[in-house]
Amino acid sequence: MPGNRNVKNVQEHIIISPIGHLDPHLIRQVVQEVHRITGYDALAASVLQDVDFAFEPSRDQHCSTPILEKLADAAPPGAVKILAICSVDLFIPILTFVYGEAQLGGKACIISTHRLSEGLGTARSDIFIRRVVKEAIHELGHTFNLRHCKDHNCCMHYCRTIKDVDRKTHHLCRYCKVLLEDEMKSMSKI
Amino acid sequence: MDKTKILIVDDELIMRESLSGWLKRDGHVVVSAASGEDAMRMLKNSRFDILLVDIKMEGMSGLDVLRLVKESDPDVAVVMITAYGSISTAVEAMKKGAYDYLLKPFDPDALGVLIDKITEHQAQARENIFLREQYQERTRFESMIGQSIAMQKIFDMIEDVGPMESTVLISGETGTGKGLAAKAIHTKSSRSGGPFVAVNCGAIPGHIMESELFGHQKGAFTDAKETKKGRLEMAHGGTLFLDEIGEISMRMQIDLLHVLEDRVFYRVGGTQPHEAYFRVIAATNRNVEDAVKQGVLREDLYYRLNVVSFRMPALRERKEDIPLLAEHFLHRFSQETNKPVKMITREAIDDMMLYEWPGNVRELENAVERAVVVGKGPSIMPQDLPIFCHENVQHSRHRSLSEVEKAHIFDILRECGWNISKSAQILSIDRSTLYSKIKRYNLEKPT
Repeated sequence: MPGNRNVKNVQEHIIISPIGHLDPHLIRQVVQEVHRITGYDALAASVLQDVDFAFEPSRDQHCSTPILEKLADAAPPGAVKILAICSVDLFIPILTFVYGEAQLGGKACIISTHRLSEGLGTARSDIFIRRVVKEAIHELGHTFNLRHCKDHNCCMHYCRTIKDVDRKTHHLCRYCKVLLEDEMKSMSKI
Repeated sequence: MDKTKILIVDDELIMRESLSGWLKRDGHVVVSAASGEDAMRMLKNSRFDILLVDIKMEGMSGLDVLRLVKESDPDVAVVMITAYGSISTAVEAMKKGAYDYLLKPFDPDALGVLIDKITEHQAQARENIFLREQYQERTRFESMIGQSIAMQKIFDMIEDVGPMESTVLISGETGTGKGLAAKAIHTKSSRSGGPFVAVNCGAIPGHIMESELFGHQKGAFTDAKETKKGRLEMAHGGTLFLDEIGEISMRMQIDLLHVLEDRVFYRVGGTQPHEAYFRVIAATNRNVEDAVKQGVLREDLYYRLNVVSFRMPALRERKEDIPLLAEHFLHRFSQETNKPVKMITREAIDDMMLYEWPGNVRELENAVERAVVVGKGPSIMPQDLPIFCHENVQHSRHRSLSEVEKAHIFDILRECGWNISKSAQILSIDRSTLYSKIKRYNLEKPT
């Protein structure tokens, strides 16, 4: 089980990097779940102060792709993956928006909370936290080379709507778990 | 599930990269081309399921790419990508065969739904082509039937083998239901949502076989008026059933082995490699080991096919299934012919039990169909089954003494109109002995 993984090299860890002001409780929840799913130590640390450089005035959104490049470059030694969490609206050039983006099999990924509060009002809620955790695990899964999963309950299922996000769980299905283990084994051989 | 191969054709690097990244995360195999010219070069060497083509490009336009692709492979789905200002061109592209168009930037939902829709349509189209061709052939069996131990073992085997991806080799005499077993394995497999494509290697003339299996390009030979998909392509994502595998030529065996090893093939007259992923189930009525020894079946192909193997029992080895099968066929043919034939008499069943059925279940099916068609009453009588006249009932050395005795006593009783004294006289036994044998063999006078 990835969650029981005995991390031999204590320096290896996953960084959860909040960008801008985000609820510390929310970040703690993500840290806990990332550790549970991957077995790696998960540490909250601010790697990027802002993402203004990625702002696209014509769309009034931030392009996620250059943010990923900066994150990967800024990752400190020992950080096997880096997950950024921001509150600005993200896009990639071909799409109107994205909940998040990841370097497939790479180091960096990012999620935005911007569209995850849809239908919830302004108050912090457990539903909102669950959505953020699910999208965080989902994008982090891509950095471990996991693709979208057909299982509607699996966290790697691609969600077309916020209802789909609510419906899926924050767990990986048994196939994705095996693929995650395979990827982590191959990483440890390198 | 097999991955969809997508080619992105766009002269803007950032568009190619962002679209490619998204599609790869969605689990597709994605290749990008920076121009229409590059795309056409790639298409000569590889086949794609979907093309996402930007309409406005330097050099060859998206519409040019669409036209050339549709000429060479009409089944490829081409989706045009366009900016807001050029919708009219996108509509024009739809008229020329584009599957759909997307307006840049597009909603991630729209892209995902469109890719899923195309993938489903393509799988359905492959299945439909096969079903259309199969429709003209009469379905011999609707399902496997049998309560005998021999058939229960077959059912267990199918349950075990179905979910595996292994190649299966089924042997057995003609008419034992090898095709049904293959279909049942397909139904139990993870590929059951894909097509089940059967090829009767013994029924297709050798010179047509290559085109049947691999397909052909338009103009590949005199009669090749249109580009045609072969059975291998139709089986993509499903199961390919190669019936009577022992009947194909040595040349075709070499080609087939090559496909099974590499999953790559060429249409007749084509230069573009095609890939198809399917499970292979092969069947033969020959003794496969003998066929290999005699050089009729290549040894390497035999080992490639014989990962899992089992033999379908002959009907004479599972005679206890005959009443069940006969009832099933009676029900089916009385419905099909709209004739109120309700039952098969005990005598007719007894005759069926005594017969050796060299043509196996298929012969039984034909016999019941004929009896339903020619029979006059509400029941099938022995006389409705002309195959059971004396000269046709096989007194095989495989039959036991009691079976032969039972059949002989029954025949004499029938000839004598169930006159016990006369029958006993012909049989040279006394009346009490005849009565005891009638009781022992459960012989009954037809009503």
